[in-house]
Amino acid sequence: MSRSWTLLLLGSGVALLAALPALLSAGLLNASIQMLIAALFACAYSLLAGRAGLLSFGHAAYFGVGAFATLHAMNAFAGKGLLPTPLLPLVGAFAGLLVGLVAGWFATKRSGTTFAMITLAVAELLHSLAPQLKGWFGGESGISAMRMPAWGLTFGSTVEVYYLTLAWVLLSLALLHFHGRTPLGRLTLALRENGHRLKFLGYDAHGVGLSAFVVSSMFAGIAGGLQAINNEAANYVVFDASVSAAVVLNSYIGGVGSFLGPALGAALMTFFGYAVSDATRSWLLYQGMLFVLVMMFVPVGLTGLFGAAARLKARRGWRLAVSVSALAVVATLCAAAGVVFVVEMLQRLCSHDYRALAAMGGSWPPIALFGRSWPPGSVATWLVPAALLAVAGLLGWTARRALVSPAVPQPEAAAIDGQEALT
Amino acid sequence: MRDSLPPSALRALPAMVTLACLTGLAQAAPVKIGLLETLSGPQASTGQSFRSGVKYAIDKMNASGGWNGQPVQLIEYDNQGGPAGASDKLKAAIADGVQIVVQGASSAIGGQITEDVRKHNLRNPGKEIVYVNVGAEAMELTGEKCNFHHFRFTGNAQVRTKALVAGMKQAGTLGSKVYAINQNYSWGQDMERAIGDNAAAGGYQVVEKTLHDTNKIQDFAPYVSKIVSSGAETVITGNWSNDLLLLMKASKAAGLKARFGTVFLDQPGNVANAGDTALGHFIAHAFNPEAGGADSTRFVDDFKAKTGHVPTFVEPQAAFGLEMVAAALKATKPQGGALNVNAFAKTLETTRIRTPMGEVSMRAADHQVLMPFVVSVVAKDAKYKADGTDMGFKPVKVFTAEEAAAPVQASCKMQRPD
Repeated sequence: MSRSWTLLLLGSGVALLAALPALLSAGLLNASIQMLIAALFACAYSLLAGRAGLLSFGHAAYFGVGAFATLHAMNAFAGKGLLPTPLLPLVGAFAGLLVGLVAGWFATKRSGTTFAMITLAVAELLHSLAPQLKGWFGGESGISAMRMPAWGLTFGSTVEVYYLTLAWVLLSLALLHFHGRTPLGRLTLALRENGHRLKFLGYDAHGVGLSAFVVSSMFAGIAGGLQAINNEAANYVVFDASVSAAVVLNSYIGGVGSFLGPALGAALMTFFGYAVSDATRSWLLYQGMLFVLVMMFVPVGLTGLFGAAARLKARRGWRLAVSVSALAVVATLCAAAGVVFVVEMLQRLCSHDYRALAAMGGSWPPIALFGRSWPPGSVATWLVPAALLAVAGLLGWTARRALVSPAVPQPEAAAIDGQEALT
Repeated sequence: MRDSLPPSALRALPAMVTLACLTGLAQAAPVKIGLLETLSGPQASTGQSFRSGVKYAIDKMNASGGWNGQPVQLIEYDNQGGPAGASDKLKAAIADGVQIVVQGASSAIGGQITEDVRKHNLRNPGKEIVYVNVGAEAMELTGEKCNFHHFRFTGNAQVRTKALVAGMKQAGTLGSKVYAINQNYSWGQDMERAIGDNAAAGGYQVVEKTLHDTNKIQDFAPYVSKIVSSGAETVITGNWSNDLLLLMKASKAAGLKARFGTVFLDQPGNVANAGDTALGHFIAHAFNPEAGGADSTRFVDDFKAKTGHVPTFVEPQAAFGLEMVAAALKATKPQGGALNVNAFAKTLETTRIRTPMGEVSMRAADHQVLMPFVVSVVAKDAKYKADGTDMGFKPVKVFTAEEAAAPVQASCKMQRPD
């Protein structure tokens, strides 16, 4: 893609983000804030996991430290605040940097599994220490603070918080992107590719790893600070392993290989949690399924799909690319609908309420789902998901056939290559 | 998210809007109650228990006419088990027009919600919301964090321990040496303090106190050997879930003769898991179906008819709490067709209802409910069996709300609206 196209796309994306408060309801706008924060956290994480090749399992530590530091800064000077509200994420950045420096110094002495275990241990240490240190982390109920008016803004409304978050996230993403262009950023890439060779070339591999760790934890601290400003509270649960796990999941679903992949994955999964968690009790199951499927079939992440489509167009022309993509999308939707139907039916069938109802009535009453009622004992009910899955299979098979029977045989058309170029 | 409308609909739009406004004046939006509970993840079963109690009471309220001629709406939000998720969903609930939020599982989430509610009400005068807490028992919610728009419809460590100690003393099983073992976080620390505070009234000496990690210990044998060597006759613990179960099993294995005084032994599955180990242990809880005579039986039968099971664990307290909310709603007149939350909160402060256990009222000073507590012992001759075993909770003594009450905490400085 040419440079002007990229700039145009970026510009319209930012313009859309800036226009969101006028387009969305208050609830969705708050979800957007969460998506932005998760996106920044995932991008900060993928600097370490994607660019430096250091898989950290405890990034919640730096996110949480940033959040708590920001809250303490908000409460400083009898609630007046250490800094004006818009500058508070700086405190989160500083705290993330400091803790990242200490933890990272130990962690980056090793790589691979040992590195992952050390980061996990650091996060668990904080998670079990935090409830005991009531002065620092506020015990179980946590610490709460209030956003103070600054620079003529009250920060009482979601819209003002949204713009504050947006400004910080865009600035941070720009800096993270810029980091990849600096010599240090290129060295970080070299560390991922071959640390030994880097050492033989005379570079300080530990120092390069540490710098990546520190930069990553600093931006994670900013994300934590933004969350603290948005929620005006935090408690030791932010150190929970599930927070660390979520950022790994988000980054890999989006694709750690590309710069905006993790951001996309995080925004998508956060919105998924927001929208689906109230609609169904099985949302964690769906999230897990999505992760497994992405890892199995698109190991480069969802952003890899765009690259694959672009390569297909380049090799086989846009006509085939569009038809295969459309077939794949419809097949995916059909498969998803079929699976959702089965899972939701089973979930209702096994629920406490339904078993009570069945026990009282003596028979199996129909189950209300998607605005209709389905008798669970009838074959017709289960034919619906079976038909959906069959259609999905048929479409998938058709798409595959179109791919493997080339009109003009080409040598590299056999498989879609896994490695995305780092941009 | 905007569908384009056909031209005819566009022309009819002004008329539709006018009509909507007129009907809006005649019939205001119904009261929306948001249930902000943990409905997924590892703590989901507790969240589901609160949900079924709340749903039972609201269905009952709607069956008797709802509020202002309309059924009350219950909207469920999954707080995903954490304070950050609860904070998000609270914002979503406020955007949906919810005026009353209900939550119970976890004091950490309760602490987040009560602070968020306080800040929202400070920033949005005239659009207040109220937090109905049916299960978060941390002392500070009615202490340092006490808040005019927070109401607690459950006991706390002081209330539960006071009832437990008095009940066990009357049953003659308390002894003079008590061992306090609790989980090391706000709830366990509150319990430990309460066990010490009740020593004089119970006529016992706390021989040793232990705080341990929450839900992380697999083998309680070292703790049990400490209990054995301390010579304690009774172990009082605020432990719940696995920590309670593993502690009881380790005691049985070590041949410990001491009785257990607990507060969460009635969590579904506990008695079945513990088996005979549970026999003879005590619990202080909000409801025992055997204790309240015909009223109790009527409540239990009705609950069972609606939900398919006998109310246990936190379901009764959630149902009673929401029945109080319903009574206060009934006594609050609509203003301009809508609910004035401050007027409702003031009414709730003076609401008294009768539950099968006795009279329940709200204390205006700190918004801690005054409710009866019952002390029961696990026995084979209990009328209602737990978890499909041959054991159940046999009531020992019912304490009235006044007898069970603990004093208002000095740290509570409530800001009241004019």
